[in-house]
Amino acid sequence: MNYSQYTVHSPQTLNEALGILKEKQSEVRLIAGGTDVMVLIKDGVLKEKELLNLSYLDELKYIREDGNIIKVGALTTYRELEKSSVVNLSAPILVDACKTIGATQIQNLGTLAGNLGNASPAGDSLPPLYVLNANVKLQSAESERIIPVSEFFLGPRKTKRAPNELITEITIEKAKPGLHYFFKKLGLREANAISLVSVACIVDLDKDKKINSIKLALGAVAPTVMRAVKSEKLATGRQLDLNLIDEIARGVSEEISPITDIRGSTEYRRRAAYGLVYEGLYEALMGTAKRVSGGIEGVY
Amino acid sequence: MDVSVTFTLNGKQVTVKAPAAKSLLRTLREDLGITSVKPGCEAGECGACTVLMDGKAVTSCLVMLSQVEEHQIVTDEGLVKDGKLDPLQEAFVEEGASQCGYCTPGFVMSAKELLLEKPNPSENEILEAIGGNICRCGAYPRIVSAIKKAGGEQH
Repeated sequence: MNYSQYTVHSPQTLNEALGILKEKQSEVRLIAGGTDVMVLIKDGVLKEKELLNLSYLDELKYIREDGNIIKVGALTTYRELEKSSVVNLSAPILVDACKTIGATQIQNLGTLAGNLGNASPAGDSLPPLYVLNANVKLQSAESERIIPVSEFFLGPRKTKRAPNELITEITIEKAKPGLHYFFKKLGLREANAISLVSVACIVDLDKDKKINSIKLALGAVAPTVMRAVKSEKLATGRQLDLNLIDEIARGVSEEISPITDIRGSTEYRRRAAYGLVYEGLYEALMGTAKRVSGGIEGVY
Repeated sequence: MDVSVTFTLNGKQVTVKAPAAKSLLRTLREDLGITSVKPGCEAGECGACTVLMDGKAVTSCLVMLSQVEEHQIVTDEGLVKDGKLDPLQEAFVEEGASQCGYCTPGFVMSAKELLLEKPNPSENEILEAIGGNICRCGAYPRIVSAIKKAGGEQH
């Protein structure tokens, strides 16, 4: 591989980075944790000859509580999210998802902004961000704007980020204590496997197991991560039992539009989605699903 | 484009001049003579090039040289103190935890991060910590024994 063909810009501050981006725009490839970009370099398929290395922007590495919101600096790694007490208490579904990304070595490098910017339909942190009503903050040298994560993606590898913008912050809503949640992923093995199907779900059940509300997001089954809106609607207000679980899981498997690729066929992915949704809701029905603990550790 | 990068390698400050986008793995092997880090997949999937960066296990094939300025990098060589193997390395020897040995340094570094954080890890924690390392000879049971042994002995 010919490493010498690349020029790397390594700004020390956000302002400096935005200045370079304003000038270079699409000429530079952004690199944060490097878990995707370094593979492109190794394979000799990276189109851009200039890189904007974001790894020294310490001001974008933080996790802060702000009332009902958790603010996550764009360069926070998966591992930092996994170890954060506030994320564990109020957004544990994101912790579970991050733990399934690659393996420890990848979780120590990869960043939340990288997963968003890379815009793979199989990005495992993304379904939890959908059910946590995440917002993505984009900054350029001149302005900033905030886009809901559900509107951020345009297709595989395509986002609304303009060439002069950086993802600088992701905000997520805290999930209410007591809510049931699950993140389930089917890969070809436990570690370092890309999702065939992933499901993130937060469900609010009353004490008689009636569904007050439910949010279901799926990865790797459509051009972008998607909410299973129809299935959410048909489930809301109804009694959770085995028949309803079957109905919801079937609804989800019909609502998605998976492709056939090297990892699995359309039909296989539909069945897998059915299975993952069924399994997760079954656990919620039986009381073995995980629950959001909120501010108090060990309550649930 | 070449850059000059200064960082701490196994406790000593080093400065290396090499292509800015070169991987840390290739830099360590080709420019700094550190051959314990092994090129396997060079895509972050096999773990043979694992090093500690600021105490955290990372695959050095995915780290760009331009990203290690002022960081602390530790490789297997750095675990040896005054010519004596680290208890973890010793345990790998005693348990016969390698066959061809190509994956061994990577496993040692992944296990090192775990033991630094959790001196007496459970079997599950060990399996999780080495989930990103592949041993094609299939020495896993002995690797796990070695890590368990080192966990018990170190503390």
